[in-house]
Amino acid sequence: MLIDEAVRFLSQVPPFQFLEGPLLRELAQSLTMAFHPKGEVILQQDGPISEHLQIILKGGVKITLRPEGGGEEVVVDYRERGETFGLVSLMGGHQRTTIVAVQDTTSYLLPKARFNELVHSHPAITEYLLQFHLTKYADMTSREIQGKSLFLESSDHLLFTAQVGEICQQFTTIVEADTTIRQTARRMVEERQSAALVVGPSGEPIGILTDSDFRARVVAAGQPVDGPVSQVMSHPVVSVDEKDPCFEVVLKMLQCDIDHVAVTREGAIRGVVTNHDFLVLQGRSPLAFSEDIEHQTTLEGLAPVSRKAMSIIGVLLREGARATNIIRIISELNDRVVRKVLEFAERECGPPPVPYCWLALGSEGRKEQTFRTDQDNALIYADVSEVQRAKVAEYFRRFTVYLRNGLVQCGFEACPANYMASNPDWCQPISAWKRYFSTWISEPTPEAVLKSLIFFDFRPLHGDETLAWDLREHFGRLIPDYPVFLGFLANMLVRNRPPLGFFGSVAVERSGEHKDGLNLKIKAVAPLVDIARLFALEKGIQQVSTMDRLEALRGGTSLISDLVDELEYAFEFVTLLRVHHQYRQLEAGQPIDNFIRLDGLSNLERQSLKKAFRLILKVQDQVMDRYKSFII
Amino acid sequence: MGLRAWTRGKLGWGGSGADLPIQELRFTVLDTEWTGLDPRRDDIISIGALHMQGSRIELGNTFQELVKPRAILDGRTVVIHGITPSELETRPTIDEVLASFTDFVAGTVLVGHCLSLDLGFLNRDARRSRRVPFRNAAVDTLSLFGWLRRRSLEHRAFTLELPAPSLFDLAAAFEIPVEESHSAIGDAYVTAQLFQRFLPLLQQAGVGSLSGLRRVGDPRRQLANLAASDGHTHF
Repeated sequence: MLIDEAVRFLSQVPPFQFLEGPLLRELAQSLTMAFHPKGEVILQQDGPISEHLQIILKGGVKITLRPEGGGEEVVVDYRERGETFGLVSLMGGHQRTTIVAVQDTTSYLLPKARFNELVHSHPAITEYLLQFHLTKYADMTSREIQGKSLFLESSDHLLFTAQVGEICQQFTTIVEADTTIRQTARRMVEERQSAALVVGPSGEPIGILTDSDFRARVVAAGQPVDGPVSQVMSHPVVSVDEKDPCFEVVLKMLQCDIDHVAVTREGAIRGVVTNHDFLVLQGRSPLAFSEDIEHQTTLEGLAPVSRKAMSIIGVLLREGARATNIIRIISELNDRVVRKVLEFAERECGPPPVPYCWLALGSEGRKEQTFRTDQDNALIYADVSEVQRAKVAEYFRRFTVYLRNGLVQCGFEACPANYMASNPDWCQPISAWKRYFSTWISEPTPEAVLKSLIFFDFRPLHGDETLAWDLREHFGRLIPDYPVFLGFLANMLVRNRPPLGFFGSVAVERSGEHKDGLNLKIKAVAPLVDIARLFALEKGIQQVSTMDRLEALRGGTSLISDLVDELEYAFEFVTLLRVHHQYRQLEAGQPIDNFIRLDGLSNLERQSLKKAFRLILKVQDQVMDRYKSFII
Repeated sequence: MGLRAWTRGKLGWGGSGADLPIQELRFTVLDTEWTGLDPRRDDIISIGALHMQGSRIELGNTFQELVKPRAILDGRTVVIHGITPSELETRPTIDEVLASFTDFVAGTVLVGHCLSLDLGFLNRDARRSRRVPFRNAAVDTLSLFGWLRRRSLEHRAFTLELPAPSLFDLAAAFEIPVEESHSAIGDAYVTAQLFQRFLPLLQQAGVGSLSGLRRVGDPRRQLANLAASDGHTHF
């Protein structure tokens, strides 16, 4: 009974929750339970070392440090239910802090000897406890979320944990380049394969031929079957290593628009993996959606496919995908829908009179949309002569209105703030766009900066990309000359302080519709996005995705270069929380929002969230220091 | 030295031997359940106990036994304990259980809520089985409560209007979680946590060793302590 209670508790508390049931039970046998009344000094700095790891069951403790050589005592941390203390002295042989119960506190004590055994048998436990890296945190968090995935019973393979080698057909038809088409077909029939790999003289894959290629390139094209297979094969072959995660292979197939890839082991051919394999693996593949989208020839056909694509998120979540991968796939699918509508618009309105470039803005630009929210887009077209101006403007007016309406039909709502190309302000020739950016950067006002942020995250999605690069170069040159602009960004960033309360607790909405809720988008996602943007613009980095921006800052001279790992994992974590939250709402038929309830989170999730907030605070403090002359 | 003599020496039974500080004491916190309240007629049907080393409760070292009673259970007891007669039919007799329980409590101070009742049954059965009665030092949490309340300590639990608080009244007052279904081991666990909360308060009041603990926690003094603290008696 006492043991059951302890096991129940530990199985909800990291890192113990990652231990197998029998081990947890055995561990519980060695526990004792202590009570520390409020005010008790449990461990004293420079006093006797802890003989136990203490796991707080109820209450909370304060950890303080008296600096060497005197000075005022500083509070290092607060720990509460589910958190531990006593570790450092247990491992380091010296009690460096003072630990006082700030409430009546009950804790489980894990004896030193048992703890040492655990450390040897499960090194991850120490790693977790030491919390040197947020890295492990985020990984375990996503694993945890995956484990308790509410949505579906998951007996099927995991797309995101399986390696492609596990699902690839072990055997495949291999032919040489001069084999005839007929012989190749015979071999495939005999060997019951849907594809044949064509290899070069040294056995390296040079091409691939699939059932559908026979249909399209041989039969339909009237190709003589005595010719060499190299005439009709697809090439080059995209190959992946057998150890690559399935997810990456799917993404590669999406990006290259192919449905077969060769799988290699240390460079040598092992087999072929097809879109079909993934369909079998997970029921419904992102690739299948992408194909559905590609096959549509009318807006009426596209709309339902596009709306249905949202269901893919459920599949991805169930597979335990990393949040940042999920949003990349969503972006990839959304991009395809937008390009398709652009294609229809060009058909509808006639060919564009001058080159143009379609821009995705804001979260769409950063490829960080979770669920389809609203449209954020703009259009740049090439400069035109005075004479042509009215005519060209009229073309793009019709064109962008078609786009807006078409995208609404496909499930992308119109932007309430009218950040859409159909707004004439945001459908301009390149010279006008350059003027906009010049004004924003050289004469910033708080309001203008806030409004312009979405444009600094633009991404060319279709059309003449040189227009977009031209614009990016233009403002990239301006920024170093106007430090006041970055000052404004910094100012905005530090004003959105994380809601961390005194006891290290997270403050929530006190009243209203979202009582006890925390706005994850505003309080957690936005600050991380703003941090990445500020430092990317500061260093003239071209990337727009938050993860890409952070990656580009890694190892550099930026203020946050050393914090890249932690920022990436914090971003990964809050994104995952948000995606999960919204998906649950979607499943329950509720309106989608960004308010999460803290009491619905596990200990680990709460701790990770607090870690993210502490990290944001830390960066904000550094930003304040660096930009202090601009901070109002 | 026999077990009895050793126990006596170690635990200061009979007023002799070393007076150990509380943190060095080993405790057995126990609870027993009976077919009824009459020691002449009723039987023990379950014993639950656990060890504490000083103020720490040991999770992995508990004693729980259901006991086959001499007489058939009547319906009343089934309602109270949720134990059915057939459940007890296959259990060991009190004689067998006492043998292992004696080993379990050897060298420890006994702790219980209204402990004299439990000890009354246990020692009656020990005598019937021709065993040595339990002569361990004994501390009653109800006596401790009464004594602490008389010292009017600041804990708000002592201001409650509870003339003769049950274990569960006290558990609620000291915010100790209690499980729905009661069992001897479950109640012993609650008692242990109550005792655990009393220890720092006792320390504060100058009670830090076995002799002090025995003085203020004497099972025979529970009524006296409570009555004195109330200023009037309900008994």
